[in-house]
Amino acid sequence: MGSTSILDALNVRVEGSGDKYLVFAHGFGTDQSAWQRVLPYFTRNYKVILYDLVCAGSVNPDYFDYRRYTALDAYVDDLLNILDSLHVTRCAYVGHSISAMIGMLASIRRPELFSKLILIGASPRFLNDGENYHGGFEQGEIEHVFSAMEANYEAWVNGFAPLAVGADVPAAVREFSRTLFNMRPDITLFVSRTVFNSDLRGILGLVKVPCCIMQTARDMSVPAAVATYMKEHLGGKSTIQWLDTEGHLPHLSAPSYLAHQLEIALSQ
Amino acid sequence: MVGNNLATSVTQLPEEILSKVFAGITHTRTRNSLSLVCQSFYRLERKTRTSLTLRGNARDLYRIPTSFTHVTNLDVSLLSPWGHALFCSPITADSPLLAQRLRNAFPRVTSLTLYVRHPQTLQLLLFNHWPDLRQLRLVRWHQRPQGLQPGSDFAALFSRCRSLTSLDLSSFYHWPEDLPPVLSANTAATASLRRLNLLTTSFTEGFKSNQIESITSSCPNLEHFLVACNFDPRYIGFVGDETLFAIASNCPKLKLLHMADTSSFTNPRGDEEAGEDARLNRGTLEALFSGLPLLEELVLDVCKNVTESSVSLEMLSSKCPNLKVVKLGQFQGICLAIGSRLDGIALCHGLRSLSVNNCGDLDDMGLIEIGRGCSRLVKFEIQGCKLVTEKGLRTMACLLRRTLIDVKVASCVNLDAAATLRAFEPIQDRIERLHFDCVWKENDNFGHGFCNFDLNALDGLNGSELMDSFGRDECGEDTSNRKRQKCVYGSEADDSFLQSNGNSNGYYGNSWDKLQYLSLWIKVGDLLTQLPSAGLEDCPNLEEICIKVEGDCRGQPKPAVSEFGLSILACYPQLSKMQLDCGDTKGFVYTAPSGQMDLSLWERFFLNGIGSLSLNELHYWPPQDEDVNQRCLSLPAAGLLQECYTLRKLFIHGTTHEHFMNFFLKIPNLRDVQLREDYYPAPENDMSTEMRVGSCSRFEDALNRRQICD
Repeated sequence: MGSTSILDALNVRVEGSGDKYLVFAHGFGTDQSAWQRVLPYFTRNYKVILYDLVCAGSVNPDYFDYRRYTALDAYVDDLLNILDSLHVTRCAYVGHSISAMIGMLASIRRPELFSKLILIGASPRFLNDGENYHGGFEQGEIEHVFSAMEANYEAWVNGFAPLAVGADVPAAVREFSRTLFNMRPDITLFVSRTVFNSDLRGILGLVKVPCCIMQTARDMSVPAAVATYMKEHLGGKSTIQWLDTEGHLPHLSAPSYLAHQLEIALSQ
Repeated sequence: MVGNNLATSVTQLPEEILSKVFAGITHTRTRNSLSLVCQSFYRLERKTRTSLTLRGNARDLYRIPTSFTHVTNLDVSLLSPWGHALFCSPITADSPLLAQRLRNAFPRVTSLTLYVRHPQTLQLLLFNHWPDLRQLRLVRWHQRPQGLQPGSDFAALFSRCRSLTSLDLSSFYHWPEDLPPVLSANTAATASLRRLNLLTTSFTEGFKSNQIESITSSCPNLEHFLVACNFDPRYIGFVGDETLFAIASNCPKLKLLHMADTSSFTNPRGDEEAGEDARLNRGTLEALFSGLPLLEELVLDVCKNVTESSVSLEMLSSKCPNLKVVKLGQFQGICLAIGSRLDGIALCHGLRSLSVNNCGDLDDMGLIEIGRGCSRLVKFEIQGCKLVTEKGLRTMACLLRRTLIDVKVASCVNLDAAATLRAFEPIQDRIERLHFDCVWKENDNFGHGFCNFDLNALDGLNGSELMDSFGRDECGEDTSNRKRQKCVYGSEADDSFLQSNGNSNGYYGNSWDKLQYLSLWIKVGDLLTQLPSAGLEDCPNLEEICIKVEGDCRGQPKPAVSEFGLSILACYPQLSKMQLDCGDTKGFVYTAPSGQMDLSLWERFFLNGIGSLSLNELHYWPPQDEDVNQRCLSLPAAGLLQECYTLRKLFIHGTTHEHFMNFFLKIPNLRDVQLREDYYPAPENDMSTEMRVGSCSRFEDALNRRQICD
C-alpha cells in the first residue's frame, strides 16, 4: 500500500469509550457498515475497532494486490498490522463468515492477542468431502457460482452490463453468494476461489483461544453439522450458540437480537 | 472567416449590440462555445454571463476561475463531494482565505445558493460579505449538527446581511424553533424581507401556530410566504383560525401564500378522505381573503377536510382580483354545480392554474362548471377525486381548448391511463405537459370518446342547454333523438379524427404534437410496456420524461417478465432527458427472506432496456431499504446504466460503491456525474461507507482525465 498507512487504507475506525477492545470484522461482499446497527450496543463498554477488508467496495481498488491476496494469510497479516498499529495488546474479536476464519488463523499466530473469538456463520471448509464431512456445497453448485462470475467479468470487460447476481445461482449457494456479487467484477472470481478453496479443518486443533460459534437456525451456507464439527475440533474451550433467526447475515437482518446474543457471549 | 475585406461579419458589429445579443443567450454550452471564438467574444461572453453553477471539487477551491466577474446568480451547493462542509472539513487557518477567494472571484453576487452543513460555512462566507447580496437559498439534507445552539444557523445571516430580500429554506433541514427568535431579534433586517420560503420538505412537524404568528409579525413586508405547518386539530400548535387572521393582518402585502400540511410531503398521494375536519371556519377564510387583496397565488394544502368551502371561495374571487394560481388540498364543496349557475371556485375567472387535491365531492358537473367559469385555465391538476369520470374531464378539456396546455390526473379511481388519455383527446395537439397514472385496465375499450360538441356553437349556448345535453348522455350511447354533432376545432378540421369518429373501434392516428414533458406514476410490479397502446403512441416532440415507481417490493411476487419496459420509450424519437424515481419503492437490500427478491433483482428488472434509449441526461433514485436507510445502486443497475452510451449527465440520488461508479467511465461523452443524497437524513460519511470522500475524488479525477471530443 505504499506510503498510505494501513489504518487509512482500510478505513479503520475506533469508536466508543470502554476500556476493553472489541473488533468487528465483516465478511466478503459487504463492508464495515454492515455492523452499523449492532455497533451502538457496544460503544459504551468497549473501544470498538471497525475496518474494511481490502476487497471491500469502500477501499481504493489500487490496494488489491493480486499476488499478495492469494490465500487467507494475507488478510490475517492485514488484521494483525492494524492491531499492532493501534497498539492493541488484547481484544475480543467478532468475525462474520470469512472473517471468522481469518480470526481463527490470527489467533493461532498470536494467541495472547485474543481473549475470545466469536464466530458468526463460520465454516472451515465449504465443499462437501465424501461421507464424513458435510460442508454444505457440492463442486457442481460452486461451479455455477464461478461461471456466473466469469460471465459478469466478461460482460464488464467488454462494456456490457454484468447482470448476474446472487439470486441467479442455485438455491443451495444463493444465500452465501448474495453479497459476493457486490464486489468488483475483476476480483470477485479471484476472491471467491480463495474462499471456496480454503480448507481449514486441519488447523482447527491449533486454535487455543476460547470460541463461541454462532449459528443461525437456517443458514443455507453453513449446515448445522459444520458448527458441531468445529466445536468438536477446536483446540480451546468452545461453545455453540444457536440463533433464533434465519439467513447468513444476522447482523443485517436481526441486529438487536444478535447484539444481545453477543453481549451474553462476551460476558462469559 | 476569411473573406474579402468588403464582407461584414458578426464580429464587426458594435459591442453594444453584440452584448445585447449575448445577454439573451442562456444555454450554457452555447455560451462556452462563444467564448472560444476570439478574445472580444470571450470578454463579451464573460461580461454577459450572469448565472453560474459550480461543479468542481471543493478541494480545488483555490483554483476557482476568476473570469466570471459579472455573475450575479451563483450556485455553489453542488460542489463535490456533494454535501461537503465548505471550508470546514477540516477548518484550518486557510479557511477564511478560501472564503475570501470565493468572494473575490464573484464580486457582484446578488443571489447565492449554498450547501450549509455547518453554520461555520455561512459565517466564514458572510464575514466580509457581498454588499449586494439579496437572495439566499440554503441547502442541507444532512442532519442538524449535534449540540448546535438554537438559531445559530441563522444568527450570522441576519446580523450581517441587513438588506436580504429573499430567503429560501425549502431544502434546508433545521428545527422550526431555530428561526422565529432570530427574526424577531433582527427586525431592522427583516423589514426588507420580501420572500420567505419555509416549505421545508424534510420536516415531519412543521411550524406551529405561534411560530407562524411570530415570523409574520417580524416580516411585515412579505410578498411571498411559504410555510410547512400542521392543520390537524389534535396537534399542539395546529394552524387554525387565529393563525390565518394573524397572517392576513401581519402581512397585508402578500402576493403568494402557500401553506402545506407536512403530511403532504410524506404521503403525497394521500387518502381521499382523512375523515377529520380542519378547524378552519368559513368566516376565517373570508377574513383571510379580504385581508390579502394583492394575492396572486394561493396554495392551501390542508390535509384535513375543509367543508362547504364554496361560499368562501366566492369571496376569493371578489376580494382577490389578481388571483392567478390556486391549489386546494382537501377542500370539499369547491363548486356546487347547481343548475347552470357558476359558484365557488368557478367564479375566479382570471385563474390560470388550478390544482384540486382530494375533493371528495367534485364530480363531472363540477368539472364542467370549472371549465365554464375558469375559462382561461392554462394548467389544471386533479388528484384523489373519486367522482370524476372520463366524460366530465373530456367536456372540460373541450371547454378549455383555447388555453389548457398543462394537465395532471392522479389517483382518481375512475380515470385509468387509457381513460385519461381519451379524455384529453380534444386537446391532444395542444398539450405540452402531461401527468397521469399508469393504471392499466384489463379490457380497455380503445374506442373513441363520447359527447361531441360543436365548439363554435358552445359560445352561444346558454348554461341550461349545455347541462341538459350533457346530462342525458349516459354511457356514451347516443340517444336516437339527438343529432350527433361533429367536432369542429377552430379553423382546422381534424380529418383523421373525424374519420375515426364513425369507427366503432376508433384508434388514434393522432399525435401529441406539442407534448414536451410527460410524467408517469406506476405501481411497483406493473409494466410500462402498454404505454403506447394506451393512447400515447406518437409523441414527436417529447423530450423529457419523469417516471415514479412506488410501492412495497416486500411480499411482491417475482415479475413474470424480465423487463419493466423502459425500452418501449424508444418510440419517442426526441426523448433525451429522464428522471426515474424508484425512491419510494421499498424492499430488502440483503435480507430478503427466501422466496422474495433482493433489491438488486428489482433494479435489474427496472433498468433492463435503458441502454436502448438515447438519453442525454438521467436522474435516478434507487429503491430503498428503509430498515437501514440505504438507497444504493447495485451491480446490475450500475452495469445497465453503463450501457447508456449517449449519456452526458448522470445523477444518482443515493449511494454506491466506488467500483460501480468506475463502470460509468466507459460511457464516452459522460461529463457530469454526481451522487446526490438529497433525502432526509442524508447519510453521514462515517456510516455510509460506500462513497467516501477519497472515492469521490478519485472517481472525478478519472472522469475528468478522459478526452472528450466536444
